[in-house]
This record gives sequence, C-alpha cells and structure tokens, in this order.
Amino acid sequence: MLIQVVNLQKTYRMGPVQVHALKGVSFQIEAGEFVAIIGPSGSGKSTLMHILGCLDQPSAGRYLLEGQDVSTVFDDQLAEIRNKKIGFVFQQFNLLPKATILQNVCVPLIYGGIRGRRRQLKLAEQALQQVGLGDRLHHRPNEISGGQKQRVAIARALINNPSLILADEPTGNLDTKTGREIMNIFRQLNKEGHTIIMVTHDQEIAGQARRVIQIRDGLVQKDEVIA
Amino acid sequence: MIWEILRMAVDSLTVNKLRSFLSMLGIIIGVGAVIAIVSVGSGARMQVTNEISQLGSNLITISPGIRRGRGGRISITAADVFTMELAEQLQQNCPSVERIMPNVQTSGLLIAGGNNYQTQVIGVTPIYQQIYNFYPARGQFITDEHEVNATNVMVLGSGLAKELFPDTDPLGQTVKLFVRNRHLLFVVVGVMEEKGTGAWGNIENQAFIPASVLMKKINNRKYVSGYTAQAVSAAAAKAAVGEIEYFLTRYLGDPEKFRVFSQEQLLETISQVTGTLSLMLGGIAGISLLVGGIGIMNIMLVSVTERTREIGIRKALGAKRRHILAQFIIEALAMSGFGGLLGIGLGWLGAAGVAKLGGWPLVVTHSSVLVAFSFSLLVGLFFGIYPARKASRLDPVIALSYE
Repeated sequence: MLIQVVNLQKTYRMGPVQVHALKGVSFQIEAGEFVAIIGPSGSGKSTLMHILGCLDQPSAGRYLLEGQDVSTVFDDQLAEIRNKKIGFVFQQFNLLPKATILQNVCVPLIYGGIRGRRRQLKLAEQALQQVGLGDRLHHRPNEISGGQKQRVAIARALINNPSLILADEPTGNLDTKTGREIMNIFRQLNKEGHTIIMVTHDQEIAGQARRVIQIRDGLVQKDEVIA
Repeated sequence: MIWEILRMAVDSLTVNKLRSFLSMLGIIIGVGAVIAIVSVGSGARMQVTNEISQLGSNLITISPGIRRGRGGRISITAADVFTMELAEQLQQNCPSVERIMPNVQTSGLLIAGGNNYQTQVIGVTPIYQQIYNFYPARGQFITDEHEVNATNVMVLGSGLAKELFPDTDPLGQTVKLFVRNRHLLFVVVGVMEEKGTGAWGNIENQAFIPASVLMKKINNRKYVSGYTAQAVSAAAAKAAVGEIEYFLTRYLGDPEKFRVFSQEQLLETISQVTGTLSLMLGGIAGISLLVGGIGIMNIMLVSVTERTREIGIRKALGAKRRHILAQFIIEALAMSGFGGLLGIGLGWLGAAGVAKLGGWPLVVTHSSVLVAFSFSLLVGLFFGIYPARKASRLDPVIALSYE
C-alpha cells in the first residue's frame, strides 16, 4: 500500500476563529493508481494536497507514505521525503524564471545530492526528451508556451523517480487542447506504472482518472472507481 | 552544489546591477577608507622615519628641562648652564659619545646685492658635517680656524644660494646679515649640497656661520640652547643617553634641568602618535563598514521577500533549511566580497593620489588588504545570517502561494 490516511484533521487558527479544513479524512491508495481528488473551492482539497505532498502536517490523524508515518516528522526530513518520493506539478508551473529549463529540471537532483554536474545535466536532458522538449534545453521559461512549461514541470517531477506524482490543477492555466495533451501524458505515465494523484475542481478532467475521491466540507463525500 | 549556489548568487546580483552596487557602496567606502588610511599613515610614517634615519639613528638631542615657574609660568632655567665648555666635558666623560655639538641659531635677514632673504642662521662647528651627514658641494665648510678666530664667514644652503645669487657665483661674495638692528658682513666660503626638503624645515635655505661668531658677536651670550651628540654607533645610542644623563645629573645636581632625547625615542613617539591617529581613523572606517553591513542586510531582506515564491518552489523540490540558508548567505558574501574588492581598488587609488601629493612612497601592505577584505566578508556573513535564516524558515505552503 502506497498511501494510508487515517482520520486526517487540519485546523487553522485565523485570529480568534478556528477553521476546520479537514474534519477526519480516511482513504487508501495503492501503487499504480490514478486518483482525482475533486471538490469545490473551500472544500479542503488544497489542504489535503499539501498534507499528501508533505508540505504541511495534519493537526490530528495519521498519514502513512510507503508505510512510514510522515505526520510525525519535521522540516528537513519532510524536505527529503518531498525530494525523493514526491513529484509536484502545479497549476502555476512554478518554474524558476531566471534558470534555463535544463537547470530547472536539475534542481531536485541538486537537493537530492546527485553528484556530478555532467551527470545531472544528462539526466535532466533525458527527462526533457521524454516529454518532447529535447530541442528547448537552453530556453528560459518565459520563452516557451504554457503547455511546454507544464511539460518541463512534469520532467522535473519525474527526475528523481518518485513514488507519487502530485498534480494540483495541472490544466488550470491551459487551453482545452493543451490541457488534453497534458492529460494524455499523465495517462501514459500511469500506464507505465506511476502513481498519480490529481487535485482538480473540473469534472471532465477528473473523469480521465480511474478513481475519484470527492471532498466536501472537510470530509470524503464520495470515493468511486471509474471503469 | 557550492558552484551552483555561487553562480545563482552572482546571477541574482547581476539582475539588479544598480541596486547591488548601491547596497555595496557602504562596504566599498568602508574598505576603501581602511586601505587608504592605513596606507597614508604608513607612507607618512615611512617618510618621517627615513628622514630621521638619514640624519642617523645614533643622534641624541640634549635640551633644557621645562619647569613650571611661579604663577604657573614656564621658565627654562637650565638654559643658563649649557655652555661650550660643558660640551667638551660631556665629550670627555661619556665614552659612548663620538661627537657633540652645541646648538645655537638665530633668524635674520640676509642681503646680497639686490636680493634679500629672511632665514635661519645656524651656528656650527666643523663636526656638524659628520653629525648630520651634510657636506658642502662647492668651496669649504666652517673650519676650526674660523671657529677659533670667530671669522665672519658663511656657508649657504643650495636653495639660499640661488635666492641670493641667481646670476653670479656666490663664492667669495659678501652677504650682509641683519639681526635685531645690528648688521654684520660675511664672506661666502661654500655652498652646501642639495638634500631635498625634509621634516625639519627647509634645510636648503639655511645659512651656516661659526658658532663662536653667533655667540660672541650676535647673541652676546655664552650659553647655548642645547647640544646634539652622536653616539659611536646606533647600538651605543642607549648607553650614550645613560652616560649623558648620569653626567648631567651630577654636574647640574637636578635631573629636571635637562632632557636627553635619542632619535630612537623620537621615532617611538612618532609611531605612537601615528598609531593613535590610525586607530581613530580606522574606527571611523569601521563604522562605515558597519553601516555598509546594515545596507546589505536591508537589501537581503528585500530580496528574501521578493523571492518568497522561489524559496517555496525550492522547498517543494526538496531544499532543506541549510540549502536556503547557504544560498542567501553566499549571496550576501558575494555582495560584500565584491564590494570589498572594489573598495580595495578605490582605497589603493586614493592612497596613490595622497602619496603623490605628499611626496612619499605608496605603501599598501598585504596585511591591510587582507584585514579589510576579510572584515568585509565578516560583515557580509554577520548581516547576511538574519535574512538567510528568515528565508530558510519560511513555511513552504505560505511561500508557494505568495504572489
């Protein structure tokens, strides 16, 4: 089992008011699944994604990633888990604007302690070739299209061979046609064995996953497998 | 990894060139000031030291003691005991003293033909030449015969000779000396060599006459204002000072009546004074470095805020606290280090300019460059830590959603 979430809760303090973003979420995800987490804004799905991505920690409950309880580890250890086990794809692409796309893809390798600049560049180049950007290596993010930026982000997410790819509204900033292309890449990756969790509010996009978990008011409302 | 971070730091500094330069300005000025001040200080000291050692580091000056008289007035009492004869006695009783010469001088107006010049007239004996290592270029110096007979002869400094006799050969010419409503005629017997201007006033424009003439015919006193003695060697200077002090204390009965000063002591005093001065100016430079450091901290804080999202991205991709910390500290170090280098260049130029004006050698020591540079790095480190720590502790979720 890749992910086991048990009674996950998250409470924020906004001044005097306590906001219960997650009120006890439980589910399991096996390796190789393609899961869409869907819900309206304010449903708690972003909070859930932050916790699943080890960017944040639950207030209560347990989160086991590959059997390791990550709800009890802190800061630098979480950074290491993010680096090794999780590949992020964001709605805003989140590429470093001043670095070339090749350098962008190298970043997780650098923090992952992969030694040798030449080796890093070679790995990054291979990853970019896989997403069809082998001829854009030395362009900067502002010189390529949105779809290409998201491909760079996918290459960057894959570079450390993570156990889990976490995509947050990956098509939210793309036109329909480009969005479909990106979804095809995700489907292809899933076929190759990658586990993908995708957060979205778009029913149509969610429909391309094989399982949909619906979140509302901080609780799992529906959890269904699509044929 | 380090190279990666270093290159990123340089990149981010070159993106905002003007801003980086302005932030570095404090460091540039601070380091420049340190280099320039230390250089000017040691250049000036070297010049003074050179002049003193040119005169001979084995020179000893004996002067009257300064004592408070009644009503707080200063009275120079011992002046009335320094005679020509005492010089001979000192010579005989102090084995470490090679030569000793009385100091007598006056200032007067010299007239020759249509030219006149107000200057110092020094009463000398022949040993003046050996003591000050200063010889005539033409003609002769004052001789023992001139001294014994109190002959009205004069030796001119090279500059003075040009002032009084711009077109004619001064040797054999007559010069009229006016001192206190009196006038005497002198025959020029020699012209001194050129030595250049020095710390002791313009030695080139002085006139030299026999000490006996100055004492008997002009001052009408048998007392001299002090003595200049020369020790047998530089090493013997200390022993000579001791012998002179011992003899004079017994002879005058009061150690307060005189003061004995070797060139070495003078050098010490000068280096003490310049040392204090350098320390003070160095303090000012230090404050400038401090202000420069605050400037760097300010801009680093701005940079951390501006790049919050970048920090969030890096953290999401697995950057640990120390990675972010290193990135921003190295950026601060790069800024202060580069500022330090520019400051060294600036200080060097400034020191060269002042040295040219002052006419002394340009001395930029390795140690001052090293100290100033490492201090600037230290400032960068110190003031870079807080912003870098702030950056490294950012919450990744908050940082990622920062617009």
